[in-house]
Amino acid sequence: MQDISKIRNFSIIAHIDHGKSTLADRLLEICHAVDKREMEEQILDNMELERERGITIKARAVKLNYTAADGGSYVLNLIDTPGHVDFNYEVSRSLAACEGAVLVVDAAQGIEAQTLANTYLAIDAGLEVLPVINKIDLISADPERTIREIEDVIGIPAQDAPKISAKNGINVESVLEYIVQNIPSPKGDPDAPLKALIFDSQYDPYKGVVVYIRVFDGVLRTGDTVRMMATGAEYEVVEAGYLKPLGLEKSGELGPGEVGYFTASIKNVRDTNVGDTVTNAGRPTDHPLPGYRKAQPMVFSGVYPADGAKYPDLRDALEKLRLNDASLSYEPESSVALGFGFRCGFLGLLHMEVIQERLEREFNLDLITTAPSVVYKVHYTDGREEMIDNPLNFPDGSVLEYAEEPFVAANIITPAEYTGNIMELCQERRGVFRDMKYIDTDRVELHYELPLNEIIYDFFDALKSRTRGYASLDYELKDYRRSDLVKLDILLNGEVVDALSFIVHKEKAYPRARKITEKLKENIPRQMFEIPIQAAIGAKIIARETVKALRKDVLAKCYGGDITRKKKLLEKQKEGKKRMRSLGTVDVPQEAFMAVLKLDE
Amino acid sequence: MYYNKGKNTAPWQGRHANGGASFRGNVSRSSLGLYIHIPFCRKKCDYCDFYSLEAAGEKTRRYASALTAHLTETAEHIRIPVDTVYFGGGTPAMLGAGNLCQILRVIIKQYAVVKKPEITVELNPESTDRKLLKSLRKAGVNRISIGVQSAVDPELRRLGRLHDFATAVQAVGLARAVGFANISVDLMYGIEGQTPESLEYSVREILKLQPEHVSCYGLKVERDTPLWLRRDMADLPDDDTQADMYMTICGLLRDAGYIHYEISNFAKPGYESRHNLKYWKLEPYLGFGPSAHSDFRGRRYSNVRSVDAYIEGIENSGTVIDEMEEISPSERATEYLMLRLRLNEGFDPREYERLFSKPIDPAEEKLRDYEKQGLAVYDGKWRLTEKGFLLSNTIIASLI
Repeated sequence: MQDISKIRNFSIIAHIDHGKSTLADRLLEICHAVDKREMEEQILDNMELERERGITIKARAVKLNYTAADGGSYVLNLIDTPGHVDFNYEVSRSLAACEGAVLVVDAAQGIEAQTLANTYLAIDAGLEVLPVINKIDLISADPERTIREIEDVIGIPAQDAPKISAKNGINVESVLEYIVQNIPSPKGDPDAPLKALIFDSQYDPYKGVVVYIRVFDGVLRTGDTVRMMATGAEYEVVEAGYLKPLGLEKSGELGPGEVGYFTASIKNVRDTNVGDTVTNAGRPTDHPLPGYRKAQPMVFSGVYPADGAKYPDLRDALEKLRLNDASLSYEPESSVALGFGFRCGFLGLLHMEVIQERLEREFNLDLITTAPSVVYKVHYTDGREEMIDNPLNFPDGSVLEYAEEPFVAANIITPAEYTGNIMELCQERRGVFRDMKYIDTDRVELHYELPLNEIIYDFFDALKSRTRGYASLDYELKDYRRSDLVKLDILLNGEVVDALSFIVHKEKAYPRARKITEKLKENIPRQMFEIPIQAAIGAKIIARETVKALRKDVLAKCYGGDITRKKKLLEKQKEGKKRMRSLGTVDVPQEAFMAVLKLDE
Repeated sequence: MYYNKGKNTAPWQGRHANGGASFRGNVSRSSLGLYIHIPFCRKKCDYCDFYSLEAAGEKTRRYASALTAHLTETAEHIRIPVDTVYFGGGTPAMLGAGNLCQILRVIIKQYAVVKKPEITVELNPESTDRKLLKSLRKAGVNRISIGVQSAVDPELRRLGRLHDFATAVQAVGLARAVGFANISVDLMYGIEGQTPESLEYSVREILKLQPEHVSCYGLKVERDTPLWLRRDMADLPDDDTQADMYMTICGLLRDAGYIHYEISNFAKPGYESRHNLKYWKLEPYLGFGPSAHSDFRGRRYSNVRSVDAYIEGIENSGTVIDEMEEISPSERATEYLMLRLRLNEGFDPREYERLFSKPIDPAEEKLRDYEKQGLAVYDGKWRLTEKGFLLSNTIIASLI
């Protein structure tokens, strides 16, 4: 075990492209955690590298050994925060494992929205925030101005902030000294019952789940039986040790203040919850660490392969993604319009977008996704209750007594000047005001209760755009409330397109219906017959647009050279048709489905 | 000589491209058409996306020589008679009357040209004078195609044309005076600022000239042309208006006694373009000059695209063939449908099956649907109606 006074646990936070990854690389180099040859890609960021080498441990945290100017041997644990900083929960748990945070600011760009958001997260978590001025090599760099900005806007002293160029390796060593001198060492009692925080986990085909922990009290040893406090599950520790950029370093035990991993033949990442407390089964701690939240899918959507033949590929891809994403859930489902696919559950819209992007990019799949929907609680006239996660299953008026929708308690932090804008936005989204307070002279924290289905589309984007990017949002499920909900169906050429149905509050039905029919009209190409586009609640049509029939699609000149060209065109058209869905008699391109999701401009 | 040894085969070499016993390359092989491309223009029109360049003395002389040499060399290997010759461009007149006539004389001398060939030259109204017309007539040209486009001068200006309608009228008059009895006129619809009324006016004015043949094309905005660049500000009739204009033209020409024999072509009986019919009936033709295409013995060829490369190729006994494709019977079947449906003659489903050994039923089923929609007609043969012509891209795509 290490001398706790010589441990420093920290994270690097920064706005995108301000140099977080480059700085991390440099620190790894200086501490000889990897040699120059291996420093080809940015280790902490790089999943490709893992795949290539067959290593499945992603270096979310690394242990660096540093000999300081005072001659002492220090252990610096660098814990990476996930890319999507708006996934506050995961970020907050990583920060909870640290005592300090290095804030990297681009000396040419200065403070930006994400800088602030991240910094506040760190400050609110009680971390010591150390500013570092980066990219001083750029002509447009203005370190003095940046220092002033940091002091004025964030309110932390920055006079002594190291001025560096991570890219060119200038003055980076001073960052390490700065860390040693200014980030407090952790505190903890090795004799107390074990109390360790899970901040991440990773599935490895050979070892099972590798659990990343920060030990607060007590010692975790190989052979111990540990208990996950949130689930009560108990496991025997098979292996424990430290994390290196390209592998693991067995040590047999982890003590207070230390960051590392353990394995215990755990089969499923779902059994290890981020934010949970690990304790000793025989001598458990009284109080689990604060801040744990059960990851619960809140947003559901149907995910279908554009080409029906790729259904097995989609299934395999989801299986692979789920190995390492405990919060992704999915179940097979089918749609008359779209064929066979899956109903997937996500933590939020951002999570959904990330998964979608990974499916498309990493597994090369063309997807059609239905509008995201939340889970409703319906009460039937015969007294039964049911949770409905697919709009198609939402019962119609005759058997529906009433329906309830999920409400969340949302925390919005914004610069004071945008408070009015935000309140307006929340009101538009049927929000209920709960509380407002100034957290410092310039920042306001708002508490609103909002229907989940009003915020899953683009609430976050609207929030960001009304606050020039500076607002942050956090929410959790609060309760279910009775609501006047209706099911909106979309009909093309008289036939209901099941994949486009969704549940909406009665008040919003008309405006939503109009927007959708307009969007569809813009995105459905003209065909040989007129296409009526209708939105209906039950049998009642509440909005309608028409796509006029095509009258002209002709090649006027077809002489010698035109013939070959024309044949090639016909071939391309045939390919293009594959990206179309035939819904009854109407050909609908994928873009039309996508367009319907992005409704509020 | 004028082909790339080993890489591409010259048109007359090799066996017939053939996949099935009943089909031998081109649908009919009884006679050949020659196309000669003259890619020079005085000025490019605003809507033109063809390859063309300004004529300049030395280059045109070398080009004319190259054409002559290419034609001569090819002639040695061609046995079948030639019944149509077509000089197109660009502006063929830019080559000069002397060169054009010389080339025609070479053709007549070296090829087995039939007694009553159709020999066409494309002309622009502004580069047509009595002297040129007389030389052409004397050399054996018996058909001219004049790009009139519109009778409304502002419309002509917006197209970037160098003539006005009066000049066009004069050119036609001259041609008649010199003895041409087979004159084709080009008409364009969908021009910037054109209205249904101004279109009708143009049609009537052109009919007054009593051309034997009329070709009409809808203006298409091609990428990177001057028109494309100003398309947002241009007052272009939309697709639906173009459709109306087309139907108007069809009606007016029908009433005036023209037969609408191909999507874009109308003729007094007996005056259909024999040369162009070869394209649509899958008959053989050879192209000379850059970018010209050939379809001979079941292979399609295209020549190199630039004048310089063409001249180079001929002068240095290198290659002038850019791409060559062997056309399989199933591809020919596709071409057959695609091209025959452009003709009001249509196609005989039995001939289709006989030529290509493929069932016509799947296509026929769709054609019957189209018949119900008034887009196609069966009267022993399948053909598209004028409404069907307008939607021929979609229709044909669904059949193949």
